[in-house]
Amino acid sequence: MTLARTYQDLSRPGAGGTAPLSATAAAAPRSGRLVLSGIYKRFNSSPVAALHDVSLHCQPGEFVVVVGPSGCGKTTLLNIAAGIVHPDRGSAVLDDKPIRFPGPDRAMVFQDHALFPWLTAQQNVEFGLRMAGMGAAERRQRSMEALRMVHLGGSGKKLVHELSGGMRQRVALARALVMDPAVLLMDEPFAALDAQTRTLLHHQLQLLWCLTRKTVLFVTHSVGEAVRLADRVIVMHAHPGRIRKVIPVQLPHPRTFDSADINELARLVRREIEEEVNRVNAALAAEDSWRPKETADLGAPAGDLGSGI
Amino acid sequence: MLLLATWEAAFRTFQWRPFIFPAPSQVLDAMLNMLGISSGFGKPLHAGWPLVAREPLDSSPLLSRVLHSPLISADLVSAARLVVGFAISVMLGAGLGAVMWRWIAVDDFLGPVFLGLQTLPSVCWVPLAVLVFGLSETGILFVLIMGSAFGISLSMRDGLRTIPPLYHRAGLMMGARRWRLYRHVLLPAALPALASSLRQGFSFAWRSLMGAELILVAERRGLGFLLKTGQDYSDIAQVVAVMVVMVVIGILADRLVFAPIERRVHLRFGLAGAG
Ligand SMILES: Nc1ncnc2c1ncn2[C@@H]1O[C@H](COP(=O)(O)OP(=O)(O)OP(=O)(O)O)[C@@H](O)[C@H]1O
Ligand SMILES: [Mg+2]
Repeated sequence: MTLARTYQDLSRPGAGGTAPLSATAAAAPRSGRLVLSGIYKRFNSSPVAALHDVSLHCQPGEFVVVVGPSGCGKTTLLNIAAGIVHPDRGSAVLDDKPIRFPGPDRAMVFQDHALFPWLTAQQNVEFGLRMAGMGAAERRQRSMEALRMVHLGGSGKKLVHELSGGMRQRVALARALVMDPAVLLMDEPFAALDAQTRTLLHHQLQLLWCLTRKTVLFVTHSVGEAVRLADRVIVMHAHPGRIRKVIPVQLPHPRTFDSADINELARLVRREIEEEVNRVNAALAAEDSWRPKETADLGAPAGDLGSGI
Repeated sequence: MLLLATWEAAFRTFQWRPFIFPAPSQVLDAMLNMLGISSGFGKPLHAGWPLVAREPLDSSPLLSRVLHSPLISADLVSAARLVVGFAISVMLGAGLGAVMWRWIAVDDFLGPVFLGLQTLPSVCWVPLAVLVFGLSETGILFVLIMGSAFGISLSMRDGLRTIPPLYHRAGLMMGARRWRLYRHVLLPAALPALASSLRQGFSFAWRSLMGAELILVAERRGLGFLLKTGQDYSDIAQVVAVMVVMVVIGILADRLVFAPIERRVHLRFGLAGAG
């Protein structure tokens, strides 16, 4: 309740700017320390490891963004943190508890919202609470609060297909937040949205994160998105998946998204990714022996074709 | 309509013999007769046609006569068999479909067998039913279930396969484990598939039931039996009338029950076109 109200005060235009926000931000969280160490994972169908000795240490309340070429193992890393995929070697630990199964201390926002089409928006948000055995009245109140946080207080009764793409993604975010997890795992959650909607959601996510101070592990292909949101940007190396470079973003939150600092950092990250992509492409070209074939010889000379007639 | 009129006209003009193929009016006659109402539609045209009809033999009130008429009681018997048999068939088929979806080994084994059995015309089960269950209600239900359960289980399995794995993972992430995952995620996600297999399964069940009643006549009840009686008395008008009733019931059940269920599910899931 208080959280929702504070959020609404803060998000009102001209309501005090940045200073009060950092002041009201929740005290440094004690839970949400995510430690991935020496993770190695190879899928049976592939000769190369999807993840090769990846170690990542997320502080409580830290916003970590992972970028890298397609197929470098970002989703796999997130799934390991979620407990959906199990690493071959290495350990994943959250607040001193090993991660073995999916659990309510971690919530995931998927690229394709993954909302259940047979439920309304509010029922979707309530789903995790219902599975946890919470009573209907409290469930309704909590889910309403979560929906208001993403500015969808009026759309609770809508069915999933009646929501726009951006609204769906916000419901998915509310569905994750309502569980009050220690860690929020987000796999390209805004990739399918247009630039304006995405910027809007970046602002909302920043505000929500400033308020709740959850640990966030966020995967994206967008460099702009990475530097806007991250405390730390992890650039991945592909085939096998490794951490190539860690770029800290030491700018105060919430951020002005088009500041010179951010643009400078974005250039840096982009250069890093481009180098990696070029390296991957060069490696692929080298190992691939495929060439366009010579014009194929079509067998018997044309003169013979009619000879039997 | 035009076709029916032409047919009727041709019949009356050329004086075809009614035992070769009946006119629509005679079919109507037969149908009303089976409803306990005598009419004169099939009689030659004359003054006052068709009102001048045979006097009913018994003079009980019209409503009770209709309710106790052969056609209505046959309908009720067939409907009762259909409801019981189809319910069992759906439970069995959907359950087997879910098992086949869940365990690949079971599917590898049963899938091809079921596919084969499904292509078997359902009346082929009649001899087996007679030998095992005798000439009994159970035998008729057996034929109905065998005729529809395999199709339902196959379409249930295929429907479950179309569930995006993402739902599965999202459910797991939100704490839906084991039976809760089935009850709250996979079952609802399978609803569109279930609705379609229900609709398809019904037409199989209805066909099988009619076939079974026609051949397995020991119980001497049901719509299929009425058809058989028509054959035995060489009453072509009755045969055609019963066939018409069968088709109409099939269409009505589909339009009034199964199509609306399917449509509602599709609306909910946003699968219907510009609805
Ligand atoms: N379930 C799976 N079975 C087999 N191989 C898999 C599986 N999941 C991922 N992989 C392989 O592991 C590698 C990493 O996949 P992952 O999905 O983590 O990449 P990603 O970085 O998320 O890519 P993208 O940016 O395209 O989403 C890929 O080479 C992929 O083919
Ligand atoms: Mg991915």
